[in-house]
Amino acid sequence: MPELIIVGLNHRTAPVAIRESVHVSSDGLENAISSLRALPGVEGASLLSTCNRVEAIVSATSENVTVAVVDWLCGRAGVSRDELEKHLYVLHHDEAVDHLFRVASGLDSMIIGEPQIGGQVRCAFQAARKLASFDPLLRQVFEQTLRVAKRVRSETGIGLHAVSIPYAAVELAKKIFGDLTDLRVLLIGAGSMGELTAEHLHKQRVKQVIVANRSYDNAVTLARRFGGEAVQFDSLEQHLVECDIVIASTSAPHFVIDREHVKRAAHKRRTRSLFLIDLSVPRNIDPEVATIDRTYLYNVDDLRSVADANAELRQAEARDADGIIAAEALAFRKRLLAHDAVPTIVELQKRVEEIRATELEKCLRKMGPITIAQREAMEMFTLQMTNKILHYPIVHLREASDQPAERESARRTVRKVFGLR
Amino acid sequence: MRLASTDLLYAALALYGAGTSIALASLLFPRQTRAQRAAFIVMISGFVAHTIFIGTICVRTGHPPLVNLAEIAAFIAWTILLIDLVIYTRLKIYAAAFIVYPLVFLLLLVTAIVGDPFTHLNAAQHASLFTAHLLTSALGVAVLFIGLAFALIASFQDRSLKSKKRGRLWDWIPSLDVCNSVTLRALSAGFVLYTAGLLAGFAWSLRVSPGSSEMHAKQIGALIAWVLFAILLDSQLTGFLRTRRTTLALSAAAFAAVMVSIFGIAHA
Repeated sequence: MPELIIVGLNHRTAPVAIRESVHVSSDGLENAISSLRALPGVEGASLLSTCNRVEAIVSATSENVTVAVVDWLCGRAGVSRDELEKHLYVLHHDEAVDHLFRVASGLDSMIIGEPQIGGQVRCAFQAARKLASFDPLLRQVFEQTLRVAKRVRSETGIGLHAVSIPYAAVELAKKIFGDLTDLRVLLIGAGSMGELTAEHLHKQRVKQVIVANRSYDNAVTLARRFGGEAVQFDSLEQHLVECDIVIASTSAPHFVIDREHVKRAAHKRRTRSLFLIDLSVPRNIDPEVATIDRTYLYNVDDLRSVADANAELRQAEARDADGIIAAEALAFRKRLLAHDAVPTIVELQKRVEEIRATELEKCLRKMGPITIAQREAMEMFTLQMTNKILHYPIVHLREASDQPAERESARRTVRKVFGLR
Repeated sequence: MRLASTDLLYAALALYGAGTSIALASLLFPRQTRAQRAAFIVMISGFVAHTIFIGTICVRTGHPPLVNLAEIAAFIAWTILLIDLVIYTRLKIYAAAFIVYPLVFLLLLVTAIVGDPFTHLNAAQHASLFTAHLLTSALGVAVLFIGLAFALIASFQDRSLKSKKRGRLWDWIPSLDVCNSVTLRALSAGFVLYTAGLLAGFAWSLRVSPGSSEMHAKQIGALIAWVLFAILLDSQLTGFLRTRRTTLALSAAAFAAVMVSIFGIAHA
C-alpha cells in the first residue's frame, strides 16, 4: 500500500530568502506538479505553495522517494542539498495526514486561523486533479483535508475575529453597518495605518472613499489609489454628514474633529450611525464625541485591545480545533486501514458465495421437485447462514490493529482459514 | 378530547420551558451554536404542540382563539414565535431567542394558569367586525413585541460598542443596521395592524352599545400603548429621540401598557 509523504519547509523552519527560492507561483503550479509526479516511485503528487510554506505532497510505495523529492526541491531552489536540508521537514503517513489537516484549517499558519490557506489547499487539490496526478490515497487525503478544514471553520470561531488593527476596524464597521457596500469612507490625512485601513475597507467594496488632506495634491494622489474623490480639508464637516466611516490619521497635534462638528452632523444624519476611527497620536478626534448617540469612536489603543482580545479568542478556538483534528485524523486512519482490507474481504465473500451456491445446488438436486416458495426459503436460509459466519472475520479484518504487522497477520490468518490464495 | 387539548398545552409549555432554559444556558458558552440549535429544535417541537392546541380551540369553538385572556395569550405567543422562527431561518439571528423564548414561555404560562381557554361567543360577538378587531389587535401586538425585542438587542449591542467591551451577547447579535431594520419593519407593520385593530374595536363597540363612553383597563392600556408606539415609530423614522435610554424607557412603558390591555381582557 502506498504511503503519504510530505517534504517541505515553512515560516518556522526557513527564512524568507529560502522560502522565496523554492516558492512556486500559481502560473507555474501545474508544471511543478507534473515534474514532481514524474519522479521515480511517485504514485501521486501535489504541491502546496504559499508565501509561508512550500510542501511537496506525494504518495509512494518506496521510502527512497523522499531523497528524490528533496533533490527535486534543491533543483528548483538552486541551492545545495546541505543548504536546503536543514530547513526541511519530512512527514510520513499519520503525521503527514495530521499536518495537512492542521495546515488547511489555519492552525499552522503564521496568523492562526487566517482564511487564505483553505483556498490555497483547494488550489493545490484542483491543480493536481486537473493533471490526473492523484492516486486513490492522495485523492482521499485531500478530499478529507478539505472536509476537515470546513468542519473546523464552521464548528469553531477560529477565523471569526480580526487580529490586526485595520481588520479590527473593518470587523467593527461590519458590526455597526452589516453590509459595507453602500457606505462612504472619509479618510483624513495620509498616515500609513489610515491608508491601510482605508485599503481594507476599499476591498470590502465600499461605495466611495473620500480623502481630505492639508495638501490637496497628496489627497488627489491618494484618492486616485482608491478610485475615490479628494476634497478640501476645510470642508470636513460637510462630509461628516454624508460619510459613514471616518478615519483620522494626520500628524496634527490637535483635534481635527471636535464634539460640535459631530453633534451638528449627527443631527442631520438622523438615524444613521457614524463610525469614527482615530489612528493618530496625538489624537485627532475629541474623545467627547463618543458621548453622542449613534456615534462610535475608536482610537488606536481601542483597536489594539480588540485585536489582542481576538487573538486570545483564536488561541482558545485553536484548542477546540485541535480536538476536532485529532478525532478526524483517527477516524480517517481507521477508514484507510479498513480500505486496506477490502481486497481480502471481497475475495472471502466471493469464495464463500461459491461454496454456498454449489452446495445449495447439490442439495436441491437430491431433494427433487419443490415449490418456488420452498426454493426461495432455502436460498434465504443459506444466504443468512453464510452472512452470519462471515460477519466476525470481516469485522476482524476491518478493525484490525493499526500496527501493519498485526494487520498483515490478521489477513494471513483469515486467508489461511478460508483457503484463499 | 378535553384532556388531550390540555395535554397539548402542557406539552407545549414544557417544551418552551426546556427550549428557553437551553437558550439561556447557551449564554455561558459564547460562540457555540450547538446549544442554540438544540433550543431551536425544542422550541419548534413546542410550536407544533402549540399549533395543534390553537387549532383545537378553533375547531371546538368555531372562532379564532382570541376571546378571553387565556386564548389571546396563547395566540400572541404562537404568533411571536412564528415570526421569530421566520426571522431566525432567514437572517440567522440568534440573539432574539434570549428575549423571545422567555416571552413566549411566559405568555403560554399565563394561558395555563388562567385555565380553560375554550369560550363560546355571545350573540353580539358573532360579528366580523369583532373578529377583525381581535385578529388585527393580537397580530399587531405580536409584531410590536418582536419590534421591541429587536430594539432591546440593538441597545445591548450599542452599549457594547460604546463601552468597547464585548458582552456575552456580542457574537449572537447581528449588525446594528440589521437590528434597526427589523425593529423599524416590525414597528411599522405592528403599528398599522394595531391601529386597524383598535379602530375595528371602536367601531364594533359603537355598534353594540351606542353612546357608551365607559373605558375599562384594556381600552385605557391599549390607547396609551398606541400613543407610545406612535412615538417610538416616529423616533425610528426620524431619530428625534436622541438617546437609546429614552427609547428603552418608552419601549418598556409601551410593553407594560400592552400587557395591561391584555390582562384587562379578563375583566371585560
